Order: sequence, then structure tokens, then C-alpha cells
Amino acid sequence: MATAVLICFEGCCSVKRFLQWFAGVLTVILLAAFGVLCYMAGSPKDAYGMVRYALPHMHRGTLQVGSDAPDVRLLALDGTNHFHIRERIGTRPLVLVFGSFT
Amino acid sequence: MQIYNDYKDHADFLTVYVREAHPTDEWQMKSNVKDDVCYAQPKTLGQRVAIAKDFTARYKFPLPFGIDDMGNAAETAYAAWPERLYIIDETGHIVYRGGMGPFHYKPAEVREWLAAKYGRVKREVQTTRAATSAASARTSTTSGATSATTTIPLSAPAESKK
Repeated sequence: MATAVLICFEGCCSVKRFLQWFAGVLTVILLAAFGVLCYMAGSPKDAYGMVRYALPHMHRGTLQVGSDAPDVRLLALDGTNHFHIRERIGTRPLVLVFGSFT
Repeated sequence: MQIYNDYKDHADFLTVYVREAHPTDEWQMKSNVKDDVCYAQPKTLGQRVAIAKDFTARYKFPLPFGIDDMGNAAETAYAAWPERLYIIDETGHIVYRGGMGPFHYKPAEVREWLAAKYGRVKREVQTTRAATSAASARTSTTSGATSATTTIPLSAPAESKK
């Protein structure tokens, strides 16, 4: 009986030590990741912005060189007329520049 | 814009305005505050048009321009947010797919592709040295400005970014 209690006690200590070690390593990894994000983004606030607003919207996509270019309807700068990207494909290569003001 | 000026006689260009990357109500950048580029994320197509017009007016942006719809169809189809570059050939196939911006947004690769197809563009540029010489010449001998013909290297540093 005493032996069983002793083994159980040692087992509990072992599990406790493992959990403490695991939590420590996890904390270090998370802090390192946050540090890298802060470095990449510029500041902790920017790191939050990157995680909250940028990463969910950034995708590599499935298009590859050789893929058919998707056709999309766009609004002209006059705010009234529309056109399709396909309409701009003609006898010369078409350079597409995607972006925004900010 | 420099690539456009250099290769507009060989290739067509189309700028596609997509969702704002750093609006005031999301992840605003200090640099945008400094540059007075402060816009909330557009909620209507009219607001997108207004921002696009501000942009083209401010930079006298010469490239043909299209605006993505509020469903972000172009952004989704081309995985284009926040910025990205593609080249489509005459048959409608993608021949160059740029990486995701901003870290992999590389106009120099577009220039390289165009240069490989059409050759490097030679253009007249007034170098700093030439400008200095010209200024010096004007003050001393009243001779005209000096210009130099240079070849744009393929590894040209960052292009003007909108």
C-alpha cells in the first residue's frame, strides 16, 4: 500500500514537472513568435494589426504560370462604366497591378 | 510607374484597386498618417471610387484603372490582397505571377520579364552628376544642361510604388 502511494506520488511529480517544462517551452516559443511579428510589423500594435487584419486575408491563391487568367468585371474610374479584364487582353501582354491607396 | 513609362509601347497595363490595406478603422500605419493618406475602409462602391480618384489625382497616376466590386471578386480570383502583380499574355494565360505583397511584391521582376521579351529600355535621364555639372556649367559658362543616356539595370532598385 505504501509502495503504491509512493509510486503514485512520484508519478504525479513527474507529470507536474513535465507540464511545467512544457508550459515554459510554449511560453518561450510564443514570446519568440510575438517578437518576430513585432519585428516584421514594426511594433506590438502593428503585430496585433497584422494578426487581426492582414493574415486572415492573405492567400497565395491557386493561380499558376500557365493558368487561364480569371475574368473579372471592374468598375471604371468614372464610377459608372464597367469593363472586363478579358477586354483588355489583346495583341500585347497585359500587366495587372493590384493594390490600394493605403 | 517607371515600368509603365518604359514599356507602355510594348505592353498594356491595368491597375486594379482592391480593398484598402491600412485603413484608419483597421490596421493603420504611422507612415500613412505622416503622408496624410488616411481613409476608412470603404463600405460602398462610391467610397472606393472616391478614394481611387484621390489616388490618381494625387499622383497623377497615368495607368489605366479599374475598381474591384464590393464582393472583392478580383481580389479573390487573383489572391491579390494587399498588392500583387501579374502578367497575362495575348492568349489570356498567366505568364508571370508575382508573390504576395508587401514582402514579395517585386516590380523589378516584372521589369525583368518585359526586358527579356522586349529588351532593356534606354531612356534619357539626368543623373545627379550631370545635373551638378549642368548647374555648375550654367553658373560659370551659361552652357545648357547635360544629359546622359543610361541603360536601366534589371536589378533596378524599388520602383515607384503607388
